[in-house]
Amino acid sequence: MKNLRWIVPALLLAVAAPGCVLVSGQFLIDFNLENFTTSTDTVVTREDVDLTTKSDYQDHKDDLKGLSDVAVLGKVTNNGATAIGVEVWMTAGPTAYLTPGQVTAGGTKLWGPFNLAAGASKQVGWDESAKLFSSAGKALLLNEIKGDGQFTIYAIADTGTYTFTVDNGVLALVIDFGK
Amino acid sequence: MKRALALALLALAVGAGAAQAAGPGVGIGPYGGYNIALIQQDTGNGSVFGVRAPVNLIPLITVEPYYATSNLGDVTEKFGGLSYTRTGFDMKAFGATAILGSVGGGGLKFYPYAGIGSYKMTRTGSDDIKETGYNFGLGIGVPAGPKMSVQMRGGLDMIVTGDTSRKFASATIGINYNLMSGK
Repeated sequence: MKNLRWIVPALLLAVAAPGCVLVSGQFLIDFNLENFTTSTDTVVTREDVDLTTKSDYQDHKDDLKGLSDVAVLGKVTNNGATAIGVEVWMTAGPTAYLTPGQVTAGGTKLWGPFNLAAGASKQVGWDESAKLFSSAGKALLLNEIKGDGQFTIYAIADTGTYTFTVDNGVLALVIDFGK
Repeated sequence: MKRALALALLALAVGAGAAQAAGPGVGIGPYGGYNIALIQQDTGNGSVFGVRAPVNLIPLITVEPYYATSNLGDVTEKFGGLSYTRTGFDMKAFGATAILGSVGGGGLKFYPYAGIGSYKMTRTGSDDIKETGYNFGLGIGVPAGPKMSVQMRGGLDMIVTGDTSRKFASATIGINYNLMSGK
């Protein structure tokens, strides 16, 4: 029966053995976006994201393991006379598309639609935003986060014509890291 | 991981059978406490409740199946001057813990424990996390009557998620009622 004394130490050892799992966590990185108004009367609005400018990202870049949570946040105002669904698209490399057609043809849908009635203004909720990410977009985003941390995002709407404003926009990422 | 959990549960079943033949000490007890999320910036701390059923197989070892549920707190952050709240996870777990010694009986008891379980974490807008987790820590048993004791424990829960993990420090207090004395 004394042989059974090893059980608790063995379980403790099993817990401690995967050291990389023990030294790990989930870090929040937020990337502020410029305020902008975009419409189908002008070229599409884009933002070149460079996560290497964020110290948290730089500090843990070599230990990145995954993307735990992600959200597009901010206050969105529909300036038009019809309801719209705001979408965010992304490309892995730097691009400079001019029209919504070029964006949807060459990019990957990351987020949306965030629906807004005509003339409505609404702050995007964190929970609500997290639900609006596409699987393909999330996968591409994770790939870029693990890669050079640089990508381009576009804001468009899912209607033929639109005009909307985004204030205090933020891309919030919760990243898994492990040694 | 699933194989390890299955083996642990099998060991528990076999052990329980052997213990029954020898006359086991069996108890049951609810407990409650607090989970503190460690190095996790997307979920908060929260209460934890559960039930344990310690089976004292032999004088040195107690095996204890458990079920626990925890409602982790929300996280509120300011981005771009605006305040946002992310709902915390709901966590449920079941498994078995091995305890060096026994939790019931007479006298003050100090014991280390370690266990393995199946954990499920859910919240809106996130993929469910269904993974194997481990727990370990130290416990104190204080007699509170002929068949009852107060159990206080402090430990760590770690849910392995691929190459990383979600970790919680936990502090709980509960009671243990001896259903069978094991004598």
